[in-house]
Amino acid sequence: MSRNEERIADVSGDALSEVFEVQMGPQHPATHGVLKLNLVLDGETVLSCKPDVGYLHRGIEKLSENLTYSQSMPLTDRLDYMSAIANNTGYCLAVETLLGIEAPLRAKYLRTMICEMSRIASHLLWIATHALDIGAMTVFLYAFRERELILEMFEELCGARLTPSYPRIGGVRQDVTREFMDRLEKFIAEFPSRLEEYETLIDTNRIWLKRTKGIGIIPAEQAIGLGLTGASLRGSGVDYDIRKHRPYDAYPYVDFEVPIGISGDVYDRYRCRMEEFRQSVRIIRQCMEQLPPGPIIADDAPDLVMELKPPRKVMAGSTGPSPLKTALIRLVEDRQAYMEGDVYVSTEVPKGELGFYFVSDGRGMPYRMHIRSPSYIHIGALGVICEGELVADIIANIGSLDVVLGECDR
Amino acid sequence: MIIQYKKKRGWLGTVFLVEILKGMGLTLRRMLSRSVTRQYPEERPEIRIGFRGQHALARDPVTGGSRCVACMRCAVVCPSRCIHIEYKKDEQTGVREVQSYAIEALRCIYCGYCEEVCPVNAVILTEVYEYAAYKRDAFYFDEEQLLKNWDRFIEESRYDPTKYVNPFWRPRGIDERTLAGPRRRSVPDDWKMENQWVGTGMTKSRKTGARCDVGGH
Repeated sequence: MSRNEERIADVSGDALSEVFEVQMGPQHPATHGVLKLNLVLDGETVLSCKPDVGYLHRGIEKLSENLTYSQSMPLTDRLDYMSAIANNTGYCLAVETLLGIEAPLRAKYLRTMICEMSRIASHLLWIATHALDIGAMTVFLYAFRERELILEMFEELCGARLTPSYPRIGGVRQDVTREFMDRLEKFIAEFPSRLEEYETLIDTNRIWLKRTKGIGIIPAEQAIGLGLTGASLRGSGVDYDIRKHRPYDAYPYVDFEVPIGISGDVYDRYRCRMEEFRQSVRIIRQCMEQLPPGPIIADDAPDLVMELKPPRKVMAGSTGPSPLKTALIRLVEDRQAYMEGDVYVSTEVPKGELGFYFVSDGRGMPYRMHIRSPSYIHIGALGVICEGELVADIIANIGSLDVVLGECDR
Repeated sequence: MIIQYKKKRGWLGTVFLVEILKGMGLTLRRMLSRSVTRQYPEERPEIRIGFRGQHALARDPVTGGSRCVACMRCAVVCPSRCIHIEYKKDEQTGVREVQSYAIEALRCIYCGYCEEVCPVNAVILTEVYEYAAYKRDAFYFDEEQLLKNWDRFIEESRYDPTKYVNPFWRPRGIDERTLAGPRRRSVPDDWKMENQWVGTGMTKSRKTGARCDVGGH
């Protein structure tokens, strides 16, 4: 019998116990957005925890059925707004696979670099709120100090801090400037020392250890069964990272390691993400060193103004595709310029595995788009993890699974 | 890579609260160092060129009006469909004349697609970010208001209106052939593809112009 089951048996055998229901959220600040949890409690012990989602539903999947492929791209900014560029990249990769085009090498490197920056930005927000929920307020202030630096760099790169829409189908929006690269170099030189500051504050702090060690344990088999991905899965000791196992963009060219936890509790997931910070810095440094010259958008990339009806020529705005691509397109030119069929492409965003599934009927807009968002699946696992724990541990669990409701409800 | 735990705390550390004192020492040090907070209304952030702010129509120095030719590309590409253009077509010449041009700023999602596809560099998202108002009507920008926005932007930013180029009009590093129209003006030299930033490990191959080999790790 596990500790949680023991605790449930304990309270239900008690003659004085009184079961009552509590609705936590959707305005609770520690639920990271508009998550509502229907709790059945006995004293402090959680007997059952049922997440209730949908308060932030905007119908992004349905909206994209009426927008062209390039028009839907800014909508993916609004999925996981902590790391919008990672979503954009995943979306663009899926559409590129569907259209049979490939981004140039320089664009791949730029995307990888910016994705890792957004991973740092996302994890910074995670450590900030996670620590704040548990009671360490100082980390919150320090993490936002560094996040501001990254957001300012995003603004310099593409004019927006939170919703950059930087990648394009077949490349990226615009090239990096010298000032941007100087700032980035300064940032990654300084960032590891900032990481040590956070660790000084909480890593061995006895209050932090009491709140995280042995809390919310997910065994490896259960984590796989629940469909967890990202650092939440790796904290349980499962070595699964799409950047390593199905590399995309410039990930095959860079050298990095995937941190893996041991016991699968809140503390291990925390350690995994802290190590990911360091690996991200490593990836960014390698990308900066290896950044090759060349174009930033593919020659046969579709124009932003995409035709809805199948165009007669290859694609609007193209300026001479490569010979191989021409042959490929000539095959389908008579019938359709856009491919028919379906495609699923998944990428490793900071929260976990983000997948885009398209069904195309050959027009310039998807027949159906489905988003496999990690947060939705992590919230589904929350009920199982929290059962038998204390109310205060729910907060620690939400923080350690790193959910964001914009992506969950989409 | 299996994560590493920090060393377990000894009895000395437990009694003397060593790790908590270390944390307090750090906060004390930070308390005495310079503050990073920006006192916003007095202290303004530096706006980067290419910032996506209030909408405007660039005022043509020759005609005094907008440069829009009613090609409808911005209205078609807009994901939130907030641009409304009405035009009249001359039967003989086929030239379109803009009757009205309006942007609903409250529907806009500031993706910057409109300025990117404009072949004549007419529509622009300026660097102005303070335009709150009490009425919804204030965010329905008609052509006259959009031109006024441009004037305000030029006045506040002190750009030379004849030389100003927005990076979204002419994306940095993009080949000139892929751009939409011939009327794009020339860009600063460091936006050109020849002057792009190249990684330090790549300097050799850049000189020879050979395609660098990065695979095989």
